Amino acid sequence: MRSRIFAGLLLATVSAATAFAQGAPIKLADVAELSGGGATVGNNWKNGIDLAIEEINAKGGVLGRKLEVTHADSQSNPGVARAQVQKALDNEPYVLLGPGYSGSVKVTSPLAAEAGITQIMGGEAAELTQGGNKFLFRTSFGQQSSMPKVAKYINDELKAKSVAIVWVNNDFGKGGRDVISKEFAKYNIKVAADLSTEAGQADFAADVSKIKAAAPDAVFIYLNEEESARILKELKRQAVAAPLVGETTLVGQKVVELAGDAANGARGHVGLTTDAPVDLVKAFREKFVKKYNYVPDHNGLKGYLAIYMVKATTEKMGKVDPKKFADTLHGLTIKAASEPGILMDVTFDEKGDIDRQGFLVEIVEGKQVVKQVLPKLN
Amino acid sequence: MTAAGKYWRIAIGVAVIAALIIVPMNFNRYGLFILSQWAVMTIAAMGLNLTLGYAGQVSLAQGAFVGIGAYAAAIMTTQGMPLIAALGVAIVLCFAIGWILGYPALRVQHHYLAFVTLAFSTLAFLVFRNEDWLTKGIYGISNIPRPNVLGFATSRPLPFYYFCLGSLGVVSLAMWWLIRSPWGRAFVALRENPVRALSLGIDTRRYTLMAFAIGSALGGVAGTLYAPLTQYIDPVPFNLSLSLDLLMMVIVGGSGFFFGPLLGAMIAVLLPEWLRFTQGYYLMLYAVAVMLLLIYSPSGILGILDRYLTERRTKVASALRAVTKSRLETAP
Repeated sequence: MRSRIFAGLLLATVSAATAFAQGAPIKLADVAELSGGGATVGNNWKNGIDLAIEEINAKGGVLGRKLEVTHADSQSNPGVARAQVQKALDNEPYVLLGPGYSGSVKVTSPLAAEAGITQIMGGEAAELTQGGNKFLFRTSFGQQSSMPKVAKYINDELKAKSVAIVWVNNDFGKGGRDVISKEFAKYNIKVAADLSTEAGQADFAADVSKIKAAAPDAVFIYLNEEESARILKELKRQAVAAPLVGETTLVGQKVVELAGDAANGARGHVGLTTDAPVDLVKAFREKFVKKYNYVPDHNGLKGYLAIYMVKATTEKMGKVDPKKFADTLHGLTIKAASEPGILMDVTFDEKGDIDRQGFLVEIVEGKQVVKQVLPKLN
Repeated sequence: MTAAGKYWRIAIGVAVIAALIIVPMNFNRYGLFILSQWAVMTIAAMGLNLTLGYAGQVSLAQGAFVGIGAYAAAIMTTQGMPLIAALGVAIVLCFAIGWILGYPALRVQHHYLAFVTLAFSTLAFLVFRNEDWLTKGIYGISNIPRPNVLGFATSRPLPFYYFCLGSLGVVSLAMWWLIRSPWGRAFVALRENPVRALSLGIDTRRYTLMAFAIGSALGGVAGTLYAPLTQYIDPVPFNLSLSLDLLMMVIVGGSGFFFGPLLGAMIAVLLPEWLRFTQGYYLMLYAVAVMLLLIYSPSGILGILDRYLTERRTKVASALRAVTKSRLETAP
C-alpha cells in the first residue's frame, strides 16, 4: 500500500515536472558590445533580438514555450567578452548569441564549442568559420563571400585597372582590405594607394589628396558609417571623379543622411540593408522604427535574424534540443515564405557560412537604388 | 604596535589567504576567470603602486607594459617556447624600457611626466597594431597555451587560478621585502622631498629610474599571465584605458599603501561585475561610486582605514592624557 502511494506521488511529481518543462521559457544568452567602441554594433544587435523575441512570444513562443534572453555587456573588450560568455555558458543556455566584434568571437567560440552550445554571432571576419568549429554560425556574409563580388564588379563593370583602397584599421576594416587585395591581385588590378585610417577619424583631407595624386580608376572605401560620410564629403570637395565603391557601410541610410549630396554616385554591395527592396525587410524596418525611434543598421537585422534562426531550427527539430541544434542548422534552408521572420531565403552550409541574395546598389539623388540583385547561389 | 595587534594582523592575513585558496574550489568557471583576472591586475597595479605610491612618479604607461608582457608571452608560447622564458624576456624588456622611459622623469614631473608616458602608451598600441609580422596586428594572436607548472597542467580554470594566485603571492612577498629594504625607504624619501633625499646622500637619479623600471617590469609579469588567461590577445585591451584603469586601482585602493592595489583591483574588477544586475546602468553606478569614494577619501579605501586608526589612537592618547592630567590635579 505504502509503495503504491509512493509510486502515485512519484508519478505526480514526474508529470508536474514535465508539465513545468513544457511551459518553462527557452533560455538564450546574448553577449554583445553594449558599451565601448562597438556600442552602436552591440545595441543594434540587442534591439533586433529584443524585437524578434517580443514578436515570437506575442504569438505564443516556439513550440509553445516562450523565449527569454539575458544580455551581457562585453565592453567591446575580448577579455571581458570571454568572462561574460563563460558566465553565460555556466548557466547552460539553449543558444549563445553574439558577440559582434570578430576578435571577441575568436576568443569566445572555443568555449562555446567545448560546451557543445551553438553560437550565432555577428562577426564578419573571413577566418572565423574556417577553423572547423561545428557550433559557430554567421548572421551575415563573411568577407570571403562579399569581397569577391565587389572585386568582380570593379573588374567587369567598371573595367578598372587601378584602385585606391581606403580602410579603417580595426579587425573589420583590415579583414576586408586583406581579402579584397587578394581578389584585386587575381584580376591584375593595381592597388595605386593603400590608405589605413583610424576609427573615429574626423579629417580625411590628407587621405583624399593622396587618392587624388594616385589617380586610380576606382576607389574602394571600407569604413564605418560616420567615417564613410566624412570621406564622401571630402572626396566631393576635392572633386575626385573616380567611381566610389564599397560595401554595406558606404551606401547605408545613415551615410546618405550624414553626407547629403556627397553620397550621390556611391555604390556598393549590400548583404543586409533596411533599404532592401524586399517587403518583409521594409515591414521589419517599420516595426523597428516604431519601437526604438531610429532606423537600424545591418546589425539590427542580424540580431533579429539570429532569433528567427533559433525559431526555425527548433521547429524543424520539433523539440528543444541544444545538442542537436548545430547539426540541424548545418545545411538548413529557411524560406521566407514559411518563416517570414527570416526576411529573405537563406541557407547555412557546413561551415556555418550563409548563402542569401545580395544587392548592388547606387545612391541616386539621396536614395538607395538597387542596380542589380545578386541571386542566392543555391 | 602592540604584540596583540601584530598577532591579529597575522591571523587576518592567514584567514584571507586560506579563503582565497579554499573558497574558489567550488566556483564556476566564470567566477574563477574573474578571480584570476583580479590576481593578474593586482600584480600590474602593485608595480604602478611602487612607481606612483612610493616613488611619486605619475605613469600612464602601465597598460602598455602589460601589453608588452602579454605579447612576449603570446608570441613565444605559440612558437612552442616555455612561459618561463617569456617571463624572463618580458621582465628584461619591460625593465629596460621602463628605465629608458624613466629618464624624462628626471627632468619633468607630475602632469608633464604623465604626458610623456601617455605618448609611450600610444606608441606601444600602434606597434602592437601595425607591426603585423610580429604581433599579427589587429587580428590578434589566438590559441595561446596555458603552461605546465612543476609538472601540473594549468589548462583547467582552477589550476590556472592557483597559478595566478601563486604568482601574486611571490610578487607580494618580493614587494614586501622591497619596500622595507633601504631601497623602499629611499623611494619614499624621494616622494616626500627629493631635495632632502639628495642631501641625505640618496642617489635620486638612480632610484627614480629604478622605481620606474621595477614598476614596469611588474607590468610585464602581469602581461605574461594575462595572455594565457584569456588565450587570445589583440591590441585593443592594452590601449590607454587599461593604463587609466590601473591608475584608478592604485588610487582607489590607496596609493602608497601596501595592500592598496589588492583592494583597488578588487573594486575595479569585481564591482562592475556585482553591479551588472542593474543592466544598462552598471557602468554609471560604478563611476558614481568611484567619484563618491574619492570625494570622501582622496587617499582611497585604505586612507579611510588609516584615518580611522589614527583617530582612535589620538582618542586613546588624549583619554590617557586627560586621566593623567586629572590625577595630577586631584593630587594633593
